[in-house]
Amino acid sequence: MIKAQNIDLSFNGKKVLDNVSVTFEPGKTNLIIGRSGSGKTVLLKSIVGLHNIESGEIWFEDILFNKLDFAGKTEIRKKMGMLFQGSALFDSLTTEQNVRFPLDMFTGMSLEEKTERVNFCLNRVNITNSNKLYPAELSGGMKKRVAIARAIALNPKYLFCDEPNSGLDPLTAILIDELIREITEEYQMTTVVNTHDMNSVMEIGEKIVFINEGIICWEGSKNEILNSDCKILNDFVFANSLAKQLRKSHE
Amino acid sequence: MIRFLNQFGKYFLLLGKVFSKPEKTIIYYKQTMSEMVYLGFNSVGIITIISFFMGAVITLQTAYNTENPIYPTYLIGLGCRDSIILEFSSTITALILAGKVGSNIASEIGTMRITEQIDALEMMGINSATYLILPKIIATLIFNPLLTLISIIVGIVGGGIAGTLTGVITPEDFIYGIQYAFIPYYITYSMIKTLFFAFIITTVSSFQGYYVNGGSLEVGRASTRAVVYSSVLILLFNVILTQLLLS
Ligand SMILES: Nc1ncnc2c1ncn2[C@@H]1O[C@H](COP(=O)(O)OP(=O)(O)OP(=O)(O)O)[C@@H](O)[C@H]1O
Ligand SMILES: [Mg+2]
Repeated sequence: MIKAQNIDLSFNGKKVLDNVSVTFEPGKTNLIIGRSGSGKTVLLKSIVGLHNIESGEIWFEDILFNKLDFAGKTEIRKKMGMLFQGSALFDSLTTEQNVRFPLDMFTGMSLEEKTERVNFCLNRVNITNSNKLYPAELSGGMKKRVAIARAIALNPKYLFCDEPNSGLDPLTAILIDELIREITEEYQMTTVVNTHDMNSVMEIGEKIVFINEGIICWEGSKNEILNSDCKILNDFVFANSLAKQLRKSHE
Repeated sequence: MIRFLNQFGKYFLLLGKVFSKPEKTIIYYKQTMSEMVYLGFNSVGIITIISFFMGAVITLQTAYNTENPIYPTYLIGLGCRDSIILEFSSTITALILAGKVGSNIASEIGTMRITEQIDALEMMGINSATYLILPKIIATLIFNPLLTLISIIVGIVGGGIAGTLTGVITPEDFIYGIQYAFIPYYITYSMIKTLFFAFIITTVSSFQGYYVNGGSLEVGRASTRAVVYSSVLILLFNVILTQLLLS
């Protein structure tokens, strides 16, 4: 369980997170949704400690994460996997080396064991025959999937995904959503996913948090999201014409 | 001024972060080896070419400026040797490396910053400053003295060849000259300077790259700053070290 309590953060005097409190539960895919620039990435990065929050508390189970020193944070971070919005694969390493990197750094596994684990993770995200390619030689969707493989290499307890399926075709996007939900259930991880894609919301949204201009406006599940009475959320949910028509025929 | 002090403080904070205990020594060893090839070995070519011509010009200049029957011609060899060892090799090598290696380091680290690769390292619980910068510092501290030595040797050879081909000095006189009244400390002095310069180039450039904020434009600016700042600092420390070591 991850809990953020009353966190605040501003950049150059502009409030980006305003008194945000939110809880993410284990074994569930928790979604953070919101428009571009609403503060999703900043919230995710604040939770994992890449941005220093100005006030508030961040709890991982019963540990107050934001007050730990570097070594203490490192201990918890070993249990985290993160997929960045731009994949953030290491340019100088091949696909295989990228996924192996956390294993090299933090385990005493033999090369065979590591290779086996790497191939397992890559298979899990449907990447085959690309072990020796460099990130520059992969497509955007492949990069995302390799980055997911890297994020799950150490069997994390907490998985953070920043827009895992933006810029992907609908089929691959669904594949990735499915994958995230499966591994979350399989390993009982606490998963937090940033997205502005309503398809993913309806596909995997067990718990959904809607953030607008740094403020959490709404929380609920995918079953509740279509019938909320939050005006800004409705504008977001029913932004495309298909959804609008659906609602009309519903009424 | 306040911005300058701020930068100065940030630079030393980064150094503090760099020199903390690495997680897995074997990985750092491998990184250092590959940085030696990347930052050091790949510069041997350019250093050789430049040193050769530098040596040639110094010899010819010395020859034309001492065209006087009272001076024995072997002094040309001696002058060539001393200017190369004392000044040109260490400083010119450093300035060239500031341009080549400095911009390289700053853009590499800067790109890693803006594409969130540094965040990814931090997320894994790796001290990104140590991981990225320490191997580069060690690699250049080991390799740059070697480059300076190469530069000295090639420079003197270049001087000898140019002097002989133009006929300003006979090979015998030149060889006599470069052996005459040789002071080994000058080599030590040159090496000490090189070590300082190597440290300046690597840390200043890494600093510029590490704190890039923004997009590819910023990476470009950071690598320009890396070259400019490290060159200026090299020239400044050249004066300071010369005063300290030779007086
Ligand atoms: N490093 C930074 N420095 C200054 N301002 C920043 C920084 N990072 C983000 N911001 C600002 O914070 C706000 C929220 O940005 P954030 O990246 O969290 O948006 P987002 O919800 O992830 O959007 P998107 O869906 O486009 O990724 C934006 O207004 C942005 O300008
Ligand atoms: Mg974002």
